[in-house]
Amino acid sequence: MTPDLRVNLGRLQLRNPVMVAAGTFGYGLEYRDLIDLAQLGAIVTKSLTLTPRMGNPPPRVVETPAGMLNAIGLQNDGVEAFLRETLSRLRELGTPVIASVAGETLEEYVGVAVQLSRAEGVAAIELNLSCPNQARGGLEFGTDPDLTMQAVAAVRRATHLPLIAKLSPQVSDIVPIACAAVQAGADILCLTNTILGVAVDAHTRQFRLASKSGGLSGPAIKPIAQYHLWRVRQALPETPLIGVGGISSADDAIEFILLGAHAVQIGTANYVQPTLALEVGQGIEAYLRANGFDSVDAIRGVVY
Amino acid sequence: MTRYELPAMVVEHQRRGANLYELILHAPPIAQSATPGQFVMLRPMRTHAPLWRRPYSILRANPDKGVFSVLYSVQSAFTELLSLKPIGSMIQTLGPLGSYFQPVRSARRHILVAGGVGAPPLCFFAARLVPTLQAGEQMVILEGARRDDLLVGLDEFRALGAEIRIATDDGSRGYKGFVTDLLAEALNEPIESAVYACGPNRMLQVVARLCAAGGVPCQVSLDAPMPCGIGVCLGCAVKVKTPDGGIWYRRACVEGPVFWAEEVVWE
Repeated sequence: MTPDLRVNLGRLQLRNPVMVAAGTFGYGLEYRDLIDLAQLGAIVTKSLTLTPRMGNPPPRVVETPAGMLNAIGLQNDGVEAFLRETLSRLRELGTPVIASVAGETLEEYVGVAVQLSRAEGVAAIELNLSCPNQARGGLEFGTDPDLTMQAVAAVRRATHLPLIAKLSPQVSDIVPIACAAVQAGADILCLTNTILGVAVDAHTRQFRLASKSGGLSGPAIKPIAQYHLWRVRQALPETPLIGVGGISSADDAIEFILLGAHAVQIGTANYVQPTLALEVGQGIEAYLRANGFDSVDAIRGVVY
Repeated sequence: MTRYELPAMVVEHQRRGANLYELILHAPPIAQSATPGQFVMLRPMRTHAPLWRRPYSILRANPDKGVFSVLYSVQSAFTELLSLKPIGSMIQTLGPLGSYFQPVRSARRHILVAGGVGAPPLCFFAARLVPTLQAGEQMVILEGARRDDLLVGLDEFRALGAEIRIATDDGSRGYKGFVTDLLAEALNEPIESAVYACGPNRMLQVVARLCAAGGVPCQVSLDAPMPCGIGVCLGCAVKVKTPDGGIWYRRACVEGPVFWAEEVVWE
């Protein structure tokens, strides 16, 4: 018997639970000669802003133990260029395209979401809540329940598309923030984004990133992401969850599902192993088969 | 440009210096399509610590034998893993990647400026350039390093019969001082030149300035931290001038690593 890999995240239905995470897969097409994009559960684009963004000065990245820090600064061509040049080509793949939306103001989030909602072929919007809020001195939207609620509510009013709120792990208690996002109209929660860190060069006595601090990703953050996902699962058992953070094997992905994730995203590991997302999908299927489960649903949330 | 993601077989680790090895890999599609200045991403490990693959410029490629090689020295957990790969084992490899050196055909003299470990792509370039030189066209190598024993690729350059001028910081070989001093001198000689350079970014900045002052076309291969090599992470950003007069970041792994020096915004 072939296990059923399909998953339903409310209105967002995927043929398998393995997606690629925002910012780690470009606009998708960059990988088309390296993996069969049509086999992915979904592609999440790099975060889109209202106008093109140049990004931060280099060095923007540094490797750390079992991970890396990045301070790319949301370099992207802007939502208009994405709609004009990329979306139609992505749509031909038949793989759901989830557009990641970034913004430094509520207006920017809404502006990007409105344009994406008018386009044909966007399966869902993922709200990147780890953006610094200009009006609040750079405080990340996702670190505060009120800001989270405002951002999600504003985008909710602007789009009919399934809305994913991608939360920051940079908080002492994620549950109130998760609840705020759902109350404000998020259909799905994605847990979690990168966590802030710094790296110093002892020999030059300088920060290794030009922006000093950056977001930590990679295997190092897996336990943190799993902790937050597990807690949110207890508080919001009805809300579909996407697990992301340090997944670098099928077992890592299965752990997130056991803790309550409906789907997972592969992030940093795409850089070093472009075929990993497909291998994780095959690994989940092999795991279900070997253990006598008939679907992904059958193992979701059994560890609590 | 086609790139390949494949396991390449280790043919040999050849000792080339005090702590310097040439890793010869068998991967015909890469060996056949590699162009001087391009690089490969190597991943000798299966685990994710260390996490990143590493970029290595191609030192030479033999399309007939289906092999190419890179130079490495053992100085990190990653390079230790690389050095421990036995002959006949596989290293996951992505390549060939990036832009390449373009011979400036109007030049009468091609000046290759190599700084320390920046020599490998210029060795490859020199090997492909020499057979194409016309009568009256010449190539000269300017190579610099901190010390005599840190000079890389001299055997390759010598085997091509190239004129080589050497500079070392401590004077242990050749001119005592920077290789850029040798370049300044060479550019004073009355012959139409083109410059191709690879080395530390500080050195390249001086090379670019000298060439700009002399109106000499110059290509530089830049180094940048590079998590993916695929063109997606935007980590290896290089600030460049755009054709419309603006400024933007380009990727060392796709639009680079070889840039026209005049495009680069040096900081």
